Amino acid sequence: MKKVLMTAMTNSISEVMETMFFMPVEIGPEMMLNDADIDLNNALACRLNFTGDICGNIDVISPEPLVAELTSNFLGETKAGLTWEQQFGTLSEMLNMVCGNALKNVKCQQPYRLGIPEEITSSDLNGTAECTLIKTMDSTMAMLLSILVSQ
Amino acid sequence: MSYSILIVDDSMPMRTVLKRSLAAAGYGGARILEASNGKEALTVMEGDWVDLIMTDYNMPEMNGFSFLKKVKNEALFKDIPVVVVSTEGNDSKIKEFMDAGAAGYVTKPFTPEALRDLIVSIIGEADYEESIDDSDDEFDF
Repeated sequence: MKKVLMTAMTNSISEVMETMFFMPVEIGPEMMLNDADIDLNNALACRLNFTGDICGNIDVISPEPLVAELTSNFLGETKAGLTWEQQFGTLSEMLNMVCGNALKNVKCQQPYRLGIPEEITSSDLNGTAECTLIKTMDSTMAMLLSILVSQ
Repeated sequence: MSYSILIVDDSMPMRTVLKRSLAAAGYGGARILEASNGKEALTVMEGDWVDLIMTDYNMPEMNGFSFLKKVKNEALFKDIPVVVVSTEGNDSKIKEFMDAGAAGYVTKPFTPEALRDLIVSIIGEADYEESIDDSDDEFDF
């Protein structure tokens, strides 16, 4: 089931990134987060819980310059004046859209419900967990799916 | 005619994107009011008339469904069309909102064209001249 969910998530990422952020992406290989070549100390990370047939959470970890680019594209503002609130809000919204868009396409008995995205830090992340890389033209972010309860 | 549109979303960037999408859809001349949850939106509505509400579902304090039910149960507000703009797009959720009186449901990600088509079907065409005059956005998808 995790594989089904992750496939739905990766399909959703491409649609959301192109439609709302005007940024084509390539879904990269799965690897340990620690090996993903993302400096966790200079990255923004966000977590979204979901409940339904399967409960879990999905994290997105993105280098700060990529978050600035996403925010700039999303809001139509120059990168220079962006606030932290705008950048974190944009990353949260991206995760929200990816997750919501993916879960609506997964067959389920009990409809999925999304939580409210929250900021996490590098200490909240499991560096040995498998993550999926999302490659843009000049940067890479990671997405990490954790299943907590399978009903 | 200039419309007054209330955007209810706890995400400030999403409110900005909706405003820009409305401008791109020809409603740049509309007066936009904002609230970050249903409770705050009801307070805004006590002081200002609105022609259209666009609300998210998943918000703290009062979510979009509770907000919709409050609007539809209030004599003064019940005729105001409410469009739900949400990431949650399963059929049962959409039916729940439509049965409760929502005028439309847009799932994210969306295009300004999809948003425009829905809004035009609900409140009619924007005053194009006014929209252009009042909008300083250069927003093109």
